[in-house]
Amino acid sequence: MSNAPLIALYGPDDTLTWQADGARSAGEFLSDVAELVDSLPDFPSVLNLLSSRYEFLVGFAAAMVRGQVTLLPQSRAPQTLRRIVGENGDCYGLTDRGDPVEGLPCVALPSRGRRSDRTMRVPQIPLHQQVAVAFTSGSTGQPTPNRKTWGALVSVARDTGSRFGLTAGRCRAVVATVPHQHMFGLEASVMLPIQHGLAMHPGRPLFPEDVRMALEEVSGRSVLVTTPLHLRACVMAGLKLPPVEMILSATSPLARELAREAEERFHAPVNEIFGFAEAGSVASRRTVNADEWQMLDAVTLAGAEPDWSVQADYLPRPIRFPDRIAVTGHRRFRVLGRMEDQVNIAGHRASLGDLTRKLLEIDGVQDGAFYLPETGHAPLTRLTAVVVAPGKTHQDIQRALRLSIDPVFFPRPLLLVPRLPRNETGKLPREALRRLVEEESAHES
Amino acid sequence: MSLLALEREVAALIVHTLKLKTDWSTIHPEAALFGDGLGLDSIDALELSLAIAQTYGYQVKSSDPEIKETFSSLRSLARAIEKNRTK
Repeated sequence: MSNAPLIALYGPDDTLTWQADGARSAGEFLSDVAELVDSLPDFPSVLNLLSSRYEFLVGFAAAMVRGQVTLLPQSRAPQTLRRIVGENGDCYGLTDRGDPVEGLPCVALPSRGRRSDRTMRVPQIPLHQQVAVAFTSGSTGQPTPNRKTWGALVSVARDTGSRFGLTAGRCRAVVATVPHQHMFGLEASVMLPIQHGLAMHPGRPLFPEDVRMALEEVSGRSVLVTTPLHLRACVMAGLKLPPVEMILSATSPLARELAREAEERFHAPVNEIFGFAEAGSVASRRTVNADEWQMLDAVTLAGAEPDWSVQADYLPRPIRFPDRIAVTGHRRFRVLGRMEDQVNIAGHRASLGDLTRKLLEIDGVQDGAFYLPETGHAPLTRLTAVVVAPGKTHQDIQRALRLSIDPVFFPRPLLLVPRLPRNETGKLPREALRRLVEEESAHES
Repeated sequence: MSLLALEREVAALIVHTLKLKTDWSTIHPEAALFGDGLGLDSIDALELSLAIAQTYGYQVKSSDPEIKETFSSLRSLARAIEKNRTK
């Protein structure tokens, strides 16, 4: 098999999404794509910044049909976009109407009629075709490209669907709080529905009440694709959600306690996906009853203790795990901890060492360190930093950091201290740092 | 409670919830909370919405036509809380 269809398991009148004027069928989707294909400019790649998940999909599909690669930036921060455009010169932007990117030729989606391709001429896309580049930000916001083939996306979507028994008969739609320009978002909120004949909610609910309304709008059992942060918010808000078939969480580790509360409150299993931008989704588990991760069908382990990699037919080479793992059985592993000093905040990975280096480069900073606070069951949302910088204010340091690191890694709190508790060899023991942070936080509040 | 007193209370809630190293009394009531002002982002908006729901019983939602206005400054946030609070 060298091709796979753009969408699978839909009849022409099956709902693929909802727009302001009502449901949009798979046949109408194919018409929307066909119409856009002809009007796209002739560039090798496209920065797809469309905020509606459905419009994003139409743009992504049309670009594939034209043989164009879709670039997926992690944020719309002007600096990030400038860098991506700088390094991928020959590209244009697909942007929301009235929201173009400065310095980039941009097109908006044409307003669409309601034609439907009832003959269902579904485009076939070659599996080896490179269709997307997901950028990971690293500590500095310097985007690193991760190239994805159509085969990789289709394989992960099919294996995820079969792992959880997702069929149009069992559930109706996917509602997602994650951005579709993120690797997990692309896999779970775009590819998963279109490869299983499911509908997708076009929005990106943020607040718990938004999530509730989105689930209500699809009027049927849904898969909620989310993150520990959003899930915690939904649990704490105490809302009554419409029936959910399953909750799928990724981007940062989900505490078992939170998974248990979410299962009880929403009467649905909470499954977690382990993945990273370089390899995509790799394994899953039901968080309440398993520490172990079960690998997706097409993925295998390569290497040996302690240096494990994942490999799959669709990956160009084995790719090292970003975490330390222990293989516990056939195609099963446990995550032992973060590799070296890696942190993951809202799906952005960075190393504490890199961040600390950036901190020390700031004029007037004599010493300093980023610190990973203990959050108990709550997902990690912010790092802490301690800084020795006589004569400088919080604002001085924040302003300087803003120029060098990705905003998700801005430290809160940022503690100004007279000195760091380094030992005689100049090292900074974690325990001493933890005590300092505790004392300083208590002192300042 | 007067709007001014509520503004102060909300400023303290923002600083406490988001662990800002800013003295709450220095937050200008009309300065931008997000972007260039206090520099908050969507993770902060989510955290803040939880604190607001717990403290005032007001469930913030994006479909509210005034949502952008609500989160634009301390003053407008305090006004929205005043209007929608259930406790």
